Amino acid sequence: MSDIRVLVVDDSSTMRRIIKNTLVKIGFANCFEAENGIDALAKLKEGGAGLILTDWNMPEMDGMTFVKSVRGSDTFKDIPIIMITTEAAKAEVVEALKQGVNDYIVKPFTPDALKEKVEKLFVAK
Amino acid sequence: MNVEYINPFINSTMNALTTMAFVTPVRGKPYLKSETDQTKVDISAIIGLAGEASGWVALAFPRAAAMKIASNMLGEQKLSLDSDVRDAVGEIVNMIAGGAKGDFSQKGLSFKIAIPTVVIGDSHILSQKKDVPCIVIPFTIDEGEFFIEVCLKAEKLQSAAGEQVTQSVNA
Repeated sequence: MSDIRVLVVDDSSTMRRIIKNTLVKIGFANCFEAENGIDALAKLKEGGAGLILTDWNMPEMDGMTFVKSVRGSDTFKDIPIIMITTEAAKAEVVEALKQGVNDYIVKPFTPDALKEKVEKLFVAK
Repeated sequence: MNVEYINPFINSTMNALTTMAFVTPVRGKPYLKSETDQTKVDISAIIGLAGEASGWVALAFPRAAAMKIASNMLGEQKLSLDSDVRDAVGEIVNMIAGGAKGDFSQKGLSFKIAIPTVVIGDSHILSQKKDVPCIVIPFTIDEGEFFIEVCLKAEKLQSAAGEQVTQSVNA
């Protein structure tokens, strides 16, 4: 798993750091960051990714628009995506899954919750 | 404002701080904010809510408490109200609003959450709009007392007077 490039997208530098620290602990050391959807698409074009973790509410381009762009791209459409967001309402979770998010984590979350979701995704694959 | 609409913010505050900052604040007694309230804080994060309920939620800290929260979240000691502390406090208020939004949706009340704004300034005061009731919920950690202010306006929230807030909020 350590070779997989993981893109962490969140407008909060605190959250990016917390997520990256957790990923490193569970064996995903090859992480790179983006502050919003536009930034994330640009970074993806530079070298792709094997996993994307993205927030929903971000300035410039939000996470849902970003997910739609990724799923609409011939190059990136198959990258697994986990949405990590404060949006906890059931309708939002359903909408995210409908748009092609593979899994969903509500903030606040524990490192174990993130670990479980990531590992489940790769075991499932 | 009915206590039913304050508890989601209390619950989400406790959840965010225990899960992400590893502190367990002690909650004080909520009260209706008066126009003459002169409570001073050093950093505050404000997030707007719009929809069937509209208004804002503010999270306001003295310097030491904010640095403690951010230090725990980031796993490194913060010694000033720098950009990391500002970001961490903004993210906590985002989680508080998001968690409450989830609870409200189960009660049939929906709203959208804006991007938070963070203000840093020694001993500043959060003023309130006259037409929007604000409930203040104090919390205490070892580094000091901090506050959540919930200022909401909606038809569905008008069923009870603000005075009720002090009577039956969840322990």
